[in-house]
Amino acid sequence: MRYRLCLPLAAGLACLPAYAVQYLSVEQVQKLAYPDATAYRAQDVALSLAQMQQVEKLAGLPARSVNWRVFGAYNGDKLLGYLVLDDVIGKFELISYAVALNPDASIRQVEILAYRESHGSEIRLPAWRRQFAGKSASTGGLTLGGGIANISGATLSASHLTDGVRRIAAIAQLVLKP
Amino acid sequence: MIRRAQPWLGTIVDITADCDQAGLNAAFAQIAQVHRLMSFHDPASDIARFNQAATGARLVLNAHTMQVLQLAEQLRLATDGIFNIGCAPRLVENGLLPAPAADAVLYQPAQALMQWAADGALFKLASGWIDVGGIAKGYAVDLAVEALQQAGAQAGCVNAGGDLRVFGQRDWPVSLRHPQQPQRLLPAVPLRDEAMATSATYFSRREQYGRSISALLDGRDGHSILGTSSISIRAPRCVLADALTKVVMASADPHHPALQRWQATALII
Repeated sequence: MRYRLCLPLAAGLACLPAYAVQYLSVEQVQKLAYPDATAYRAQDVALSLAQMQQVEKLAGLPARSVNWRVFGAYNGDKLLGYLVLDDVIGKFELISYAVALNPDASIRQVEILAYRESHGSEIRLPAWRRQFAGKSASTGGLTLGGGIANISGATLSASHLTDGVRRIAAIAQLVLKP
Repeated sequence: MIRRAQPWLGTIVDITADCDQAGLNAAFAQIAQVHRLMSFHDPASDIARFNQAATGARLVLNAHTMQVLQLAEQLRLATDGIFNIGCAPRLVENGLLPAPAADAVLYQPAQALMQWAADGALFKLASGWIDVGGIAKGYAVDLAVEALQQAGAQAGCVNAGGDLRVFGQRDWPVSLRHPQQPQRLLPAVPLRDEAMATSATYFSRREQYGRSISALLDGRDGHSILGTSSISIRAPRCVLADALTKVVMASADPHHPALQRWQATALII
């Protein structure tokens, strides 16, 4: 019984993802969301326990992480808005995305940075996720060539992603809004 | 070619085209518009306004919503009610959609819910809730394709979670999910200047109160469709492909007369 469980897992780890698309690098999404920005400053957020509880209340979802990757977009000294980066795991997909927010914490734009789909359960294993860490279009690690096929199939719900966006909107309300 | 993806319509919308970012922005703006107008969940949408309206109410809705509702009504009549956007009460009952009002509404398969006045307004004929989840994604894809073409794109692909349309003088490889193992992809088929949509229950099938349900309903009786095959439709427009998948799925007829009427073909896997 143990072997039956382990063998497909090992085979899955050896496989490349069934489907992966790199849409935008962090630099590209910065330019797209704030074309007038002259500088981006890292303003990472570490939530306190009290803030995490407030996020849960506002979003109606677990706050999930203490640490959040945030950039402030500036034109000179003027704050144009924020960009928050995050990943979510779905049924068998891993989605990296960016939420651009106005200075008042309202959502301006959501862009998918990368979408990876696996053959199976390896999506939940850290090793599978680590192989993509730091990969972007500019480093070439995920480029699959020009002929990436589209997929037609039953609609895969993006509820994990929309939950993620809701969570980030709540964090922005609490922590980023002046 | 540039390619981007954003979350809309409850799924991920992926757009590829040979235009600039402004062209892609215009295409996403069309998708966002359909999302706002036709969401079942958003109480400010046209669909929510219809659902909240009293019997006999006269409604003036956005021209895009009217087009979707008119096509939905044509499909209902052409398929003996297999395609019926009035199925929403059953989706609410099955926990797949939130109830739009406190008072429950019964699904009456034979009941026409809407009628158009000469001036283009819409009358709600009976109490009922509609959901255009089975047709609006395709309509949004078609609008996005038009926006890309207006922005000067010669070729492109708009894919709203599996309902897609390609344009331009080139082939686009499109892979289908294996219905029994949806993480696996079947070899790609080339599409050119056409739309394809696929329906299957592998993502939405589940057990509830000891019976199986799915997000796809047969409008004739409001029962969940539980077939394990995958139905793909090729059609000139994505709105047709999207809607007709449900007709072939429920009728199990790959030669259903509605296909010929709308110049579509079915592929069952």
